[in-house]
Amino acid sequence: MRLKKTNWSRDGGWTFVEAMLSVVIMSIMVLGLTIVLMAFREHLDRSWSIRVMDQYGNDVIERLTHELRNAVDVSVRNSYGNTQEIIISYLDPNYLDRTYKHRWRADLHTNQIKVDNAPIDPFFPPRKPGRGESYQILQFTLTKFGVLTPNPDENREAHFRNQAFLNATYDIRFKVRYNRNAINPGERNWSYEKEYSNRVYLRNKNLPIRNRVD
Amino acid sequence: MSVKFKKWRQDEGGIDFIQLIVGLMIISIAAVGTLQALYYGYDQLDFQMRYRKAISIARSHVEYIQGRLHSDYSDKRFSDLQFTAGNLNNPDIKLLDQRDPSRDYDDIYCEVSHGPMVPVNLPDTKGDDYWPISVYVRWSEPGENDVVPIHMVHFAARMVPAGF
Repeated sequence: MRLKKTNWSRDGGWTFVEAMLSVVIMSIMVLGLTIVLMAFREHLDRSWSIRVMDQYGNDVIERLTHELRNAVDVSVRNSYGNTQEIIISYLDPNYLDRTYKHRWRADLHTNQIKVDNAPIDPFFPPRKPGRGESYQILQFTLTKFGVLTPNPDENREAHFRNQAFLNATYDIRFKVRYNRNAINPGERNWSYEKEYSNRVYLRNKNLPIRNRVD
Repeated sequence: MSVKFKKWRQDEGGIDFIQLIVGLMIISIAAVGTLQALYYGYDQLDFQMRYRKAISIARSHVEYIQGRLHSDYSDKRFSDLQFTAGNLNNPDIKLLDQRDPSRDYDDIYCEVSHGPMVPVNLPDTKGDDYWPISVYVRWSEPGENDVVPIHMVHFAARMVPAGF
């Protein structure tokens, strides 16, 4: 059988048209791939930064929840911005008629949560952020059940509960924003806010042991 | 040896246009596959975050139940009897994930319910010893249209009654 020889497969090298066509196709491919990879890299950078924020947010919530569970009392006062100072009292394990306190607050200058003026995580915000990147604490509050909630039924529910419950049930809310400002012409500022929350019932506040420190 | 194979063996270098096109197609398919895998991984990260949030919501609901059983419960109050009967058939709807507001994504809500709670009285003690608590959080991921949400977190806990 005689092989049909096409114009595209000759042994004598490429014609000018073939060479130009291949250059055009390869250019389009490289350009497309570059755009996709740059977009994907931006996507990954944002994603990584949000994970860092998640890690910190969850860490703050877990640690505060743990401390509140062991507390015998808590007092809250307003601080800068939409943040509060949370003063938590514990029973001293060695002297059960004494208490000691921890003071939680949001430092809006360094954008860190501090306990007795020491940051709970010295590596947040990251020490070497990218150009235009920053984190911002928007909210750090401890409110009674039903006062500050995205679910309206909880607000209604609070009106039916007694004081013993309301004085011991608290909602923690911690909101952080990640900013990614434009650096190059044609870029746009981008930011992402996320709220972390949890609820704690202060068991020790309604236990007989509480009477020992009053 | 076939004619084609002989011809390939005699080829002394260089590629022709067809080979170039085939090569580019293979690279394109590989690139698309890799990118799809990366996007799938990113979606999985999102799912894991929602799963963690669902656990947090379940735990918050457990705290609420524990608080009520401990400080705001009377077996003579009808609303409390309803409360201990559970709400598996009538779950509360709560916000699970507030998604990127700069995009056209809907927020994700979840159903929060708890099973019936019956106090346990251990044989050697007087009165109720503890209440077993079961909380369920169910939700659907974006793109899932099941009537019953298929993702679920089950959180079990106990609470002692007041004056224990």
